[in-house]
Amino acid sequence: MIGHKLNFIVIDDSKLDCFIAEKIIRNTGRSENIRSFLDGADALDYISKTLVPADETKTILIVDIQMPVMNGFEFVEAFEKFPKEIQDNYIIFVLSSSINENDLNRVRNYPSVKHFLNKPLTSNTLSALLEWV
Amino acid sequence: MSKADKIKILYVDDEVNNLNGFRASFRFDYNVLIANNTDEAVNHLNQNSDIRVILCDQRMPDKSGVQFFQEIRNEYPNPIRMLITGYTDIESVIDAINRGNIFRYIKKPWTDADIQSAIDEGNKFYLTNNMLAIKNEELQKAYNELDKFAYSVSHDMRGPLLSILGAVEVAKSIDNISEIKEMLELMHKSVQKLDDLIQNVHEYYNLKRGELQISEINFNDVIVGLKDFFDMTGKMSNVKFATVVNQQETFRSDEVCLKIILNNLLSNAFKYQRKNNGDKFVELNVEVNRGNVLIYVKDNGLGIDDIHINNIFNMFFRATSEEIGSGFGLYNVKDALRKLNGEISVDSKINEGTTFKVIIPSK
Repeated sequence: MIGHKLNFIVIDDSKLDCFIAEKIIRNTGRSENIRSFLDGADALDYISKTLVPADETKTILIVDIQMPVMNGFEFVEAFEKFPKEIQDNYIIFVLSSSINENDLNRVRNYPSVKHFLNKPLTSNTLSALLEWV
Repeated sequence: MSKADKIKILYVDDEVNNLNGFRASFRFDYNVLIANNTDEAVNHLNQNSDIRVILCDQRMPDKSGVQFFQEIRNEYPNPIRMLITGYTDIESVIDAINRGNIFRYIKKPWTDADIQSAIDEGNKFYLTNNMLAIKNEELQKAYNELDKFAYSVSHDMRGPLLSILGAVEVAKSIDNISEIKEMLELMHKSVQKLDDLIQNVHEYYNLKRGELQISEINFNDVIVGLKDFFDMTGKMSNVKFATVVNQQETFRSDEVCLKIILNNLLSNAFKYQRKNNGDKFVELNVEVNRGNVLIYVKDNGLGIDDIHINNIFNMFFRATSEEIGSGFGLYNVKDALRKLNGEISVDSKINEGTTFKVIIPSK
């Protein structure tokens, strides 16, 4: 059974990684809307200006950890300052090439982060995760 | 021996005759400061952070030598403390030595040889202590860099590789040739990023471990090599490149370090341009004058935000998501300048451009 539609926002400073993520997301057949941001601040700006959709379509945020200017942790911390009714609209997956234990532990401590994914993103892992959404 | 080479010592005694006698006996061997009371002594300590040995009389009207040493110990831990005292005070001396306030005591009346050997011993102890502190600090810095390095290598080296791996995987299921080409272009950038990083790491180790090779530098020759390369870069990205070299005198320096500095500053200037600017330029100005070279690298590109300007020379710092960068380039520039005793400053305005100014003395 194909699940309900979802929106996606990809935040990664690597254009290639955004490109790959978009392709893989499209292949899951679950995507309504896909947006990519190279910079977390732009994504926050977008989220703050986006209204809650009437049909309550959830948005999956796929966030890289190590980015210049604003890293993934800083992004999540800023996101968690949004009012609850906005936060409830989003589900955060952190996606990283980091194999550093400290990074992993830190990610686990953010209530808004639902999953940690290793790069590269593959169709199988993403599809499996989306089954639960 | 000039005054600057002599060991600086401080002698504290309430009797002026003792002070004058002491100074007369030792002023040829040491740089002697004298103080008639403990306030004066503290003044000297504040103004001379390089005092290595303090000799103090035990019996003074305002406070005892032991008390004085106890008071200054925390604030001025570096100078070696020695007490001068008559036999009758031996109890308090033993106590002070046991509590670690005093390195050694000198019995009254002293001979020149007593004082000399005490100061020389004290100086040796001072140097060992200081050397240890300096080495510890260096070691701590090296450890911190190594940590950052290991952390970043796992991300910065794996990052581009994993991007390519992901792209290859996705490309397998794409039939559209123009989409594949678009991906190849992005993969190309990832490979380039990784290669840049590896070259920067190579430079980093050249700088850390390499000895300087000083030779006569003809800046015209150095610039010709750079110009060929950067003219090409400029053509591809539509950036005008102008160079001015003015060298009338010989300049001696390390060519590898100079090239690292010029290469990184220029490639940044070409890289961080504003895409929609119709009149992109990079200017390099080199002027050798009175034993110094003054280098300006100027562009009219993106500029650097004020809040980032203090961080740009830090390892792995990147101020922008635009363009690929390893966060290594300016760190290497700073390191190279440190080896050449050079200085760098930056003047930048966002959306107007950046000028780096470098001064390096001839070796």
